[in-house]
Amino acid sequence: MEIPDAVAAGRPASDAASTPLVTLNDLLWLLYLYPIRLLAIFLPRSLLYAFGRLSDPIVQLHARQRKKRAAPWIAQACGVTPVEARRIAGQSLSNGMYRTLDELLLLRPSSGKMLRCTGIDGFEHLEEAIARGKGVILLVGHFCANRIAVRYLAAQGHPALSVHNQSPANRAGGRFGKKYLQPRAVQLQERANPDQVYIQDPDCVLKIMRRLRAGGLAVVQVDGRGGKKVIEYPFLGVPWRVPSGIYEIVRVTDCAVVPMLALGRSNGFRIRFGPMLPVDRAASRETFVSANLPTFLSVVEKQIVENPQEWRLWNHF
Amino acid sequence: MEAMEPLLKDPGSPSRETMDRIWRVFVESLNLNLTQEDLNYEAKLDESVGLDSVAVLDFVTALEKEFRITFEPEMLTIDLVRDLKELAAYVDERVARSQSVAKGRQ
Repeated sequence: MEIPDAVAAGRPASDAASTPLVTLNDLLWLLYLYPIRLLAIFLPRSLLYAFGRLSDPIVQLHARQRKKRAAPWIAQACGVTPVEARRIAGQSLSNGMYRTLDELLLLRPSSGKMLRCTGIDGFEHLEEAIARGKGVILLVGHFCANRIAVRYLAAQGHPALSVHNQSPANRAGGRFGKKYLQPRAVQLQERANPDQVYIQDPDCVLKIMRRLRAGGLAVVQVDGRGGKKVIEYPFLGVPWRVPSGIYEIVRVTDCAVVPMLALGRSNGFRIRFGPMLPVDRAASRETFVSANLPTFLSVVEKQIVENPQEWRLWNHF
Repeated sequence: MEAMEPLLKDPGSPSRETMDRIWRVFVESLNLNLTQEDLNYEAKLDESVGLDSVAVLDFVTALEKEFRITFEPEMLTIDLVRDLKELAAYVDERVARSQSVAKGRQ
């Protein structure tokens, strides 16, 4: 089965030199960042979601090549038929779009009332981890509902420092989008969730350490790709360049690691905590990473295979 | 242009010995190809080498081990860690404080 070259090789699917000035993706972001964002201040959620339903066919059409590239990968990683894989690719794209609409709701002063959590499973695992007193890393994958879940948890008295990429890959964007719209979108995300730190921040790891030492929570997406210090490891059937920072933090702080999974949209989402992961306290840095990386990644891999339509990265390559 | 405010309210003058030890920890914990002759007491630690976020973590933990101190969470900033003089003053202060606590217990 053919896996997209860009995924396997960990390189961008498009050549930066041939990037057009403006793409359809830029226009969609322009609509999102200005008229839709302004309307979202007072529009009810149902109308906002109606915008989403209207624009979904355009988004799907625009991303058809990326979906085509993703389908064989999904089929192989999740063990589904090609038809099912194409459906998952499309659904993942739609969920990603609703995620961006939900972020507009998070900008509202009354956003707390907008978040309808239908339930939290395994909360005792989080409580047990907090009781250790050494801080907790909430291990997550790139799932669409992460941000609403983090905001909801903060409102319930469990604020968690999120770690984000300030300049995420934007393969579908044009030069205009990359230069003007993407920074604006990142700015908005920061406003929606100010309790965050960027991986580009030289203080990033120290800020996480600070939070953990105070017994707090930090949310880390373990399925990110790239960074300054990476380890090649197979993930979802393809070579993955796994950032090693999280393993360093766990080794040094002796914090607890609890897997978290958030599924759904702001009008109905569920949070699930898994049992604390067993951490192998190997002596050296290298042995610590090799001893724990498979455990951490396999937990998130399982979450993705069980809920592929909620994972955002299928169509990113 | 405004001058940068020092991180420590009264940094005092750090001991040369502490600065030398910090330099040794810096070089050893990050496996740098530098010697004592490369040490410039006035320079920032990351002037000669790139100090990424994870490297800072290694350095801080090695410092805590070397001096048997724990950094206060609010002091864990890149600005303190990269400034040899301020860092040494802070380490001196923490060492003195932990020694006085130990004496008080006796």
